[in-house]
Amino acid sequence: MGFASVNGIERPVRLCEKTRAYAEESLGHKYGLDAKKTPCVSLDGITGFESFSPVQKYDAAIRAIAENAPLRICDGELISGAATLGAAISHVVPAFYNGAAVYMSNSHLTADFFSIVKDGIDSIRKKAEQAYRKYKGTDKEEFAKSCINCLNSFDIWHKRYLKELYNIGYTANYENLLTVPYKPAKTFYQAVQSVWFAFAFMRLCGNWPGIGRLDLLLGPYLQNDLQNGVITLDFAREILAHFFIKGCEWICGDCGSGDAQHYQNLVISGVDENGCDVTNEVTYLILDIIEELGISDFPTTVRLNKNSGEKLIKRVAEVMRFGGGTLAVYNEDKVIESMTKYGYELTEARRFANDGCWEVQVPGKTNFSYVPYDFLQLLQKKTLKSYDESVFFDSFDTMYNAYLSDIRGLLEGLLSDVKTNLMKCEDGGEWVWKPNIPCTVISLFEGGCVEKGRSYLEGGPVYNVISPHIGGLADTVNSLYAIKKLVFDDKKIGFSDFMRVLRENWDNDEALRQYALNKYVYYGNDEDEPDLLCARFLSDFADICKELDNRSGYRFPGGVSTFGRQLEWSHQRLACPYGRKSGEVLAANASPTPGSDKEGATAIIKSYCKNPLVKLPVGAALDVKLLPSSVKGEEGLDALCSLLRGFVLLGGFFMQPDVADAEILRKAQKNPGEYQNLSVRVSGWNARFVTLNKEWQDMVIEQNECCR
Amino acid sequence: MNVADEITLRVSEIQRFCMHDGPGVRTTVFLKGCPMRCLWCHNSEMQKTEKELLFFKNKCIGCRLCASCKNGVHTFKYGHKIDREKCLLCGECEKNCPSSALLICGRDMSIDEIIREVKKDAAFYGQTGGVTLSGGEPFAQPGVTELLKRLKAEGINTAVETCGYYDVTDAVPYTDLFLWDIKDTDEARHKKNTGCRNKPVIDDLFAADKAGAKIRLRCILVNGVNTDETHYKNVAALMKKLRNCVGADILPYHAYGGSKAELTGREDNGDKALIPTEEQINRFKEMIKN
Ligand code: SF4
Ligand code: SF4
Repeated sequence: MGFASVNGIERPVRLCEKTRAYAEESLGHKYGLDAKKTPCVSLDGITGFESFSPVQKYDAAIRAIAENAPLRICDGELISGAATLGAAISHVVPAFYNGAAVYMSNSHLTADFFSIVKDGIDSIRKKAEQAYRKYKGTDKEEFAKSCINCLNSFDIWHKRYLKELYNIGYTANYENLLTVPYKPAKTFYQAVQSVWFAFAFMRLCGNWPGIGRLDLLLGPYLQNDLQNGVITLDFAREILAHFFIKGCEWICGDCGSGDAQHYQNLVISGVDENGCDVTNEVTYLILDIIEELGISDFPTTVRLNKNSGEKLIKRVAEVMRFGGGTLAVYNEDKVIESMTKYGYELTEARRFANDGCWEVQVPGKTNFSYVPYDFLQLLQKKTLKSYDESVFFDSFDTMYNAYLSDIRGLLEGLLSDVKTNLMKCEDGGEWVWKPNIPCTVISLFEGGCVEKGRSYLEGGPVYNVISPHIGGLADTVNSLYAIKKLVFDDKKIGFSDFMRVLRENWDNDEALRQYALNKYVYYGNDEDEPDLLCARFLSDFADICKELDNRSGYRFPGGVSTFGRQLEWSHQRLACPYGRKSGEVLAANASPTPGSDKEGATAIIKSYCKNPLVKLPVGAALDVKLLPSSVKGEEGLDALCSLLRGFVLLGGFFMQPDVADAEILRKAQKNPGEYQNLSVRVSGWNARFVTLNKEWQDMVIEQNECCR
Repeated sequence: MNVADEITLRVSEIQRFCMHDGPGVRTTVFLKGCPMRCLWCHNSEMQKTEKELLFFKNKCIGCRLCASCKNGVHTFKYGHKIDREKCLLCGECEKNCPSSALLICGRDMSIDEIIREVKKDAAFYGQTGGVTLSGGEPFAQPGVTELLKRLKAEGINTAVETCGYYDVTDAVPYTDLFLWDIKDTDEARHKKNTGCRNKPVIDDLFAADKAGAKIRLRCILVNGVNTDETHYKNVAALMKKLRNCVGADILPYHAYGGSKAELTGREDNGDKALIPTEEQINRFKEMIKN
């Protein structure tokens, strides 16, 4: 048995054969396919269902799930609980009425597992009962009642597991579940079971919560147990591995976009709210497990800072080398600075985790959503009127300012949508939330909701965030830059003529296209002129977001992302001034336009770090692709560590280094223009992959292929 | 004006994020000019000291803007012909070529300029990374020791890839690691295949070693040229005799040089028959391990 890697090094074996076999089953779609067989429970038999209020319908759905969802106890599993209803994998509450889902479910949040593990669900029940007493007779009564109903449903599901575990003699699991998640966990083992059971219930009900800072949560329990000699590190690793393996129970192998994860984020290492380093044995166990099993279903981000230890960085680099982009890093110094500048308390900022991908949030008390925009489309279609004859600007600044005001218009439109759709203005001029779809299960585990008597979607959480995201950043900036250079600075062509050339998709001026492509240096090459234009643009964008902040009960911090949308966009965008023809690839996230980055990874990181990242408290993601051969051996490991350190030193925000595999090289062979920065470095001579002759490329590909 | 301002070096390329030219993240400065003419050279555009006009055929779009060269270097009668003999290296065609298919290889840079360039990645060098001088043969240019001295003064770790044909003892105090080519240990073959004698390479190697240089040997392995037991034994013996040798790398020949030879209008020297077999590589490895 072996778990895939791209670097040719065999993954180490630390887990027992049985656990590894369990992992292989889970990664091999066994449980995902199993879940597909029972997509949902039915609400059809419930009398009077149609006449129920929305919240009553929701409560009935959760109860039906708790009572009827199949239980799953895998052979030898160390922790129990499973999200066995297949429709949840499609982001709905898996309870159907008349053959259709009744409610959508929730994601992009990290639930408050700290309260669950440390205080127990009993304490949440207590809060719910208090809320019910407090809000009886008000319009919040129904939500408070729903909280109690959903906790009752949780009880039902819990009891079913207890009974079954008792019957089959899974004593350890049974005994743990007698305590957790209702009472505070006493041991590491119980703490893991507690997180998992609550997580599994949220997922069973269709939600996709993130997990957040698992090492911070579990570390003290493990340390205590190790000191008392009640557990070995090896057994702790096995328990945690089961947590990971169970987390793969939704993999069914048929995800068209390859999106095999459900925002079940983990954030490890970094400082706690007092500024002390939290790195502990659990941090390393998590890294061990990812390294051994190659599980990428928990998007795991490591919080690095200027003082991160050598041991941690080296371990992170070692795991990263196996490829697949399983590990990403935050420079938490920058993240915390940006959050406090934005207005979060320092202690809150230090607690940060994310929404399941990388967008920063205060975990367990944030309602988060983001709104993706294609800014290249805005530039092309609106500001430059699809390169129509009628468009004309006499200077770069007039064009740039026109574009900014189009951006402002777009974002103001978003704000007014929010106001009309989500909020209403009370007589006193105060904005309050309009009723939204019920979402009690998630509301139970988000700080603020139960106390305030408001659901997750109705202003319950402490923080409510809508983040406008720039998509197409590099393409937009490079377009602006190319117009600036070709038309206004170097006067290679007049504005109107240039619009014509673009309108014709460059078909009639290949020489100018080549000039635009080759004679200017674009964002991502550590060249100040284009990089500073990008920085200026992001700064202006952040300022516009700031103007709209808190004008509706929502925070509006900006971010930069594409999340793969660039693939779809690429077919819809017109030609670009920097030489791109319509249909060609576009840039991802805050990364350079493919093919325009000719100086390699360090230059990309430097360009990215020149951006005013401190003004973007949600984040801007940088993808950096590396070849397995460039991180090979002790030297390569060293280099990867240096790359991570440099990223922190230069003030980056979020980076996802990906060690590319043969597949990517084959693509590079077919479309060399898009992969110019992939380097092959062999002692004594140097070559970019795309400049190698075919034979040599094939050889490199083969070398990479051997590792699969 | 200090001495570093006056000295210029002829650089063919500066590459960032090089991971296998010494430890850590490195910036490699390729210097132009080399005394040797190795049969298997992979960087043939860096052999000559003189600047050269490179032509990247795959980038050319045939726009013929380069035909405006006043010296008639570019002609298009039977395909694009480049008569390099006539070229005065004025750089006009390079500037005009829209697709950057033409490039003058060799740029004279002052030490300050080079330092400025390599410091761009200083944030990534950390404890281990730094600058590697390569080429070409770095020591073929008189200013190299001064450059190394300045790099050291800036706190930058330095490595040099050298063919070993020059006395480098002066540079030892400023060089953290020498990557020393041992192309062959057979005098006659060395002469035949590189155009230079082997003895100076070995003499310089020991002189450097005696002066305290940290050395890593780099052994190109070319099938049918130096794939014999005697050579392996000689290298192993060399390693034993050196006091400060930290290891050796085997660099198996590959047919890559060919596609680069075209750039300068040289003959393609990419010959697959010269690629060593797995067995040969492993045997060599075995020998130098002990
Ligand atoms: S100018 Fe450049 S692209 Fe045009 S023909 Fe000459 S070499 Fe080719
Ligand atoms: S460098 Fe000058 S002389 Fe040489 S080919 Fe180009 S234009 Fe002609």
